[in-house]
Amino acid sequence: MDKTSREKLFACITATSFVLDDLRLYLDTHPNDQEALDYWRKVQRVRNEAVEEYTKCFGPIYSYDVDVSNRWTWVDEPWPWEGRC
Amino acid sequence: MWSYERRLQYPVNIKERNPRLAQVIMSQFGGPDGELAASMRYLSQRYSTKNRKVAGILTDIGTEELAHR
Repeated sequence: MDKTSREKLFACITATSFVLDDLRLYLDTHPNDQEALDYWRKVQRVRNEAVEEYTKCFGPIYSYDVDVSNRWTWVDEPWPWEGRC
Repeated sequence: MWSYERRLQYPVNIKERNPRLAQVIMSQFGGPDGELAASMRYLSQRYSTKNRKVAGILTDIGTEELAHR
C-alpha cells in the first residue's frame, strides 16, 4: 500500500473515532435512542475494519497489537507529536 | 485502566513556530484550569456519585479530557 492509502486509512480512523467519542457521551445518558444505536453500529463497523487494515499494513495503533516475531518495535515509529499523524 | 492509542484525536499541522502561543497552550493543557486537572477531577468525582449514568459519563468525559493529547 502506498502513502496516499495510508493517509486515507488513517483519516478514516480519525473521523470514525471522533464520531464514536462524541456518540459515546450521548449514549451514556440516552441508552435507548434507537437512531443513535444504529449510527453507533454503523460507524463502529467501519472503524473496526479500518483499524484492522491499518494495523496489518502499517503497524499497531494499540501496543496490545505489537507483533514481536522479530523484536519490540513499538517505540521505533515516530510518535504523533513528532510530525503529522 | 487506560490504554494509549498511537494517534491524535484531531490532526495538527504546525506551520510556524510561535513560542507565545505555545505558552498559552501549555497552560491550557497543564495549568491550574487545564485539561490535565479537569480530567483528574472528573475521574475522581465519579467515585462519589450515586447516579449510574453520571458515573458513566464522568468516566467517559475524564477519559475524553485525557485523549486531547
